[in-house]
Amino acid sequence: MTELLVWPIVTPLVAALLVLLWPSRAASLGIAAAVLTLLSTFAVVWEVSRDGVLELALGGWSPGLGIALRADGLSAVLLVMSGLVSLAVAIYASVYFAGSAQRAGFWTLWLLLLTALHALFLSGDLFNVYVTLELMGLAAVVMAALGGGREALQAALRYLILGLLGSLAFLAGVAMVYAGFGTLDMAALAGVVTPVPVAWVALTLMTGGLLIKAALFPLHIWLPAAHANAPAPVSAMLSALVVKAALYLVVRLWLELFDGVVTPAAAWVIGVPAGIAVIWGSWAALRAARLKLLAAYSTLAQLGYLFLFIALAATLPAGESRATVMTALVLMAISHGFAKSAFFLGAGVVMQQAGHDRIADLGGTARALPLTTFTLALAGVALVGLPPSGGFIAKWQLLTTAITSGQWIWLPVVGLGTLLAAAYLFRLLGHAFAPGEGVGPRLAVVREEIPALVLALTATLLLGLGAAGLWELVPLSAYAGRGV
Amino acid sequence: MSLTLLYALTGAALFLLGLRATLLRTELLARVVALNVSGAGVFLMLVAIAYREAGQPVDPIPQALVLTGLVVAVSATALALALHRQLRERSDD
Amino acid sequence: MNGVFTWLPDLLLVTMLIGLGWATVSSTDLKRAVALFIAFGLLLSVAWARLRAPDLALAEAALGAGLSGALLLAALRDEPSAGDIRKDLPFWQRSLVDLLTVALALPLAWVLWSVLSEPAPSPLAERALSALDRSGVSNPVTAVLLNYRAYDTLLELVVVLAAVLGVVSLGRERPGYRQAGPVLSSLVRWLVPLLILAAGYLLWVGAHAPGGAFQAGATLAAASVMLRLSGADRAGLPVGLALRASLSAGVGLFLLVGLGLMGAGQGFLHYPPAWSGGLILLIESAATLAIAAALGLAYLGGRPAGWEAGDPDPSHKERRP
Repeated sequence: MTELLVWPIVTPLVAALLVLLWPSRAASLGIAAAVLTLLSTFAVVWEVSRDGVLELALGGWSPGLGIALRADGLSAVLLVMSGLVSLAVAIYASVYFAGSAQRAGFWTLWLLLLTALHALFLSGDLFNVYVTLELMGLAAVVMAALGGGREALQAALRYLILGLLGSLAFLAGVAMVYAGFGTLDMAALAGVVTPVPVAWVALTLMTGGLLIKAALFPLHIWLPAAHANAPAPVSAMLSALVVKAALYLVVRLWLELFDGVVTPAAAWVIGVPAGIAVIWGSWAALRAARLKLLAAYSTLAQLGYLFLFIALAATLPAGESRATVMTALVLMAISHGFAKSAFFLGAGVVMQQAGHDRIADLGGTARALPLTTFTLALAGVALVGLPPSGGFIAKWQLLTTAITSGQWIWLPVVGLGTLLAAAYLFRLLGHAFAPGEGVGPRLAVVREEIPALVLALTATLLLGLGAAGLWELVPLSAYAGRGV
Repeated sequence: MSLTLLYALTGAALFLLGLRATLLRTELLARVVALNVSGAGVFLMLVAIAYREAGQPVDPIPQALVLTGLVVAVSATALALALHRQLRERSDD
Repeated sequence: MNGVFTWLPDLLLVTMLIGLGWATVSSTDLKRAVALFIAFGLLLSVAWARLRAPDLALAEAALGAGLSGALLLAALRDEPSAGDIRKDLPFWQRSLVDLLTVALALPLAWVLWSVLSEPAPSPLAERALSALDRSGVSNPVTAVLLNYRAYDTLLELVVVLAAVLGVVSLGRERPGYRQAGPVLSSLVRWLVPLLILAAGYLLWVGAHAPGGAFQAGATLAAASVMLRLSGADRAGLPVGLALRASLSAGVGLFLLVGLGLMGAGQGFLHYPPAWSGGLILLIESAATLAIAAALGLAYLGGRPAGWEAGDPDPSHKERRP
């Protein structure tokens, strides 16, 4: 039943049109769509784990002439993460935006963003990927601007311009692929690509575009303001999912499609900025004055780790150890996705209750909002990478592989990054547990607090203890059947 | 030197010209215009790749991709200008 | 050796393209930049025609030069001082950007040279052309857009929808124009029906000749822009639910066809060959309507009065010349 692949894309899209026609039903339609979409992602992961890679040739035209949708281990896992995070965000947003003027704008664009993300994860065609990137970028920019303040608009505008530049570079790379290899189908390309100059130029252009969107140091300048000034549910989507989509494409390109083109030396081009991002992002998070800004800088650091995984995997020959690093990368990515969305949703609760998110003035938060403080702490545990979180297992894998492959340089980087992360977490908790009257007890916000808590628990406990299945699922690849 | 190559190189030049100006200019309107010029350069590369000498049919696939790209570019332009206007109204307060 | 003479027009065209492109992006006067950009778009549509891409020539004139130009001109009207407001970046940043440009230019030129100097056969193009008789249309570009790669086009319509919903959710429309004088009004009264006719023709002809939903939609949107310029507040657009329904018509019908075929056991967007011509025309008609509504709305620059039920409907007292 490969027609199944259509549902994670079409369900939110149909819902977006329904919300446009009946805006008064926006929240219930949004939640219903999130539930159905989640179920469809479960079905995809189930089919992939049972039957392996799924391919759907749309319109009945063979891939190449037509467009193929493909699901393999990597895309299925990311789909499920996206489904879970979005359901939690939907329940949260139904309270957060209740009675607000931004409500209608949020729901349609949120559903279109979900459509774009799922279409991107499932796309098997490079030009189609470009279209999904543009859709994702435009929807994300509008959502980042929904706060309506001057800073939010300014950040959104910068995000838009740089994002468009990124997609344009990606499209130029796609044009090079077509000129050099005569195909846009990703599976066909993986079969014919050879280390010739045109492949280098194509990969450089596409990667450059994607690194802007994935905010890898030093192309990150747009991210902190855009993520920190958006409404909390939007920040959660942007940090947990949108940057991951660009990262996902870099993984596809570097470790699968252009596997034969990427040399160990080229891996340093990603590795060095990634190492700097880890340390610099963590340092900036430690010094951040606002809770949401802390979360945004922490995203930069976490993206650094994820790119370190890519750089490390690119130096390894195809085989078991490389598959292990890739799986650890996916674990780290989804662990961060759950933890960071939980963190932003929790920060949103704090901000609504206190009217601000200045870390120094958060005294009393732990007493007034015990559940949310617990959520922030749990999410923090996963971000730092303490056991038993998924982040811990992933980092452990990163370190052991770095040692066995002789790349000692990454050890101090990861060590320092982890220490800094622990420091920013304890600084935050120190302020939250301090006595104070900063936060007055207002009406219960349990419907906002529970989704955030569930996400945090997923990141720390569920992924930490139940990640075993990933090690079988992720190596099922639609594009690297010959290698990994 | 073929016609394809001539126009593809022109496209590459426009792509880079626009790219450079998008990064260098500071006024939003100028950046939007530069992005559009840059995009036109990429489109020109694609259409040049699709070109065949008279007598042979041209490759319709890149042409269709460019048509899609044109519509996307107009949409992005509209959004950028609307954001810019809102920002300007906030600054006037 | 007649080389120079056959090459002369092309050399002239590419020189002008690069020159105009350069002038456009380096102009410090925004008004000038926009005017040059429109000229650049028109010149580009000549290049499309030269490269045997008439569908693109039409679309570029209508969309690239036409509507983007109209949007930019409208934005120019909001600029408080449309003079030289260039602020220079620090020297090291400029040098970095220049370095990056050169670092990209050389490999790009070299690769294009090595890949494109030998004409390579494209198996994909042959497949596209040989499948044409099963596609339901005889214009190959339309076959790619609405049959082989129809899913791309569906997502592209979603992009248009997302962008215009973004425009709508960011704020209110800009104030309308003063009622036009009798000469302009009667000109518009003549032009609008002509544009609607032209749009219908482009839509119909797209199946076998240059044209199609995008060109038709843009032409229809041009009619809306003209109405707006002549002082019609609504710019010919419907109101409320009708407007929102027109915006979603393109994506909606596409999905209806796709999912309907899936329900009938055919597969998503898998047209039965006997029906494909009709289905394509149906989808294109809805797409034309949606694109026209979206681009017309984009020209208003924000949420129009009466967008949603209960939306305050302030009558626009404020006018600008």
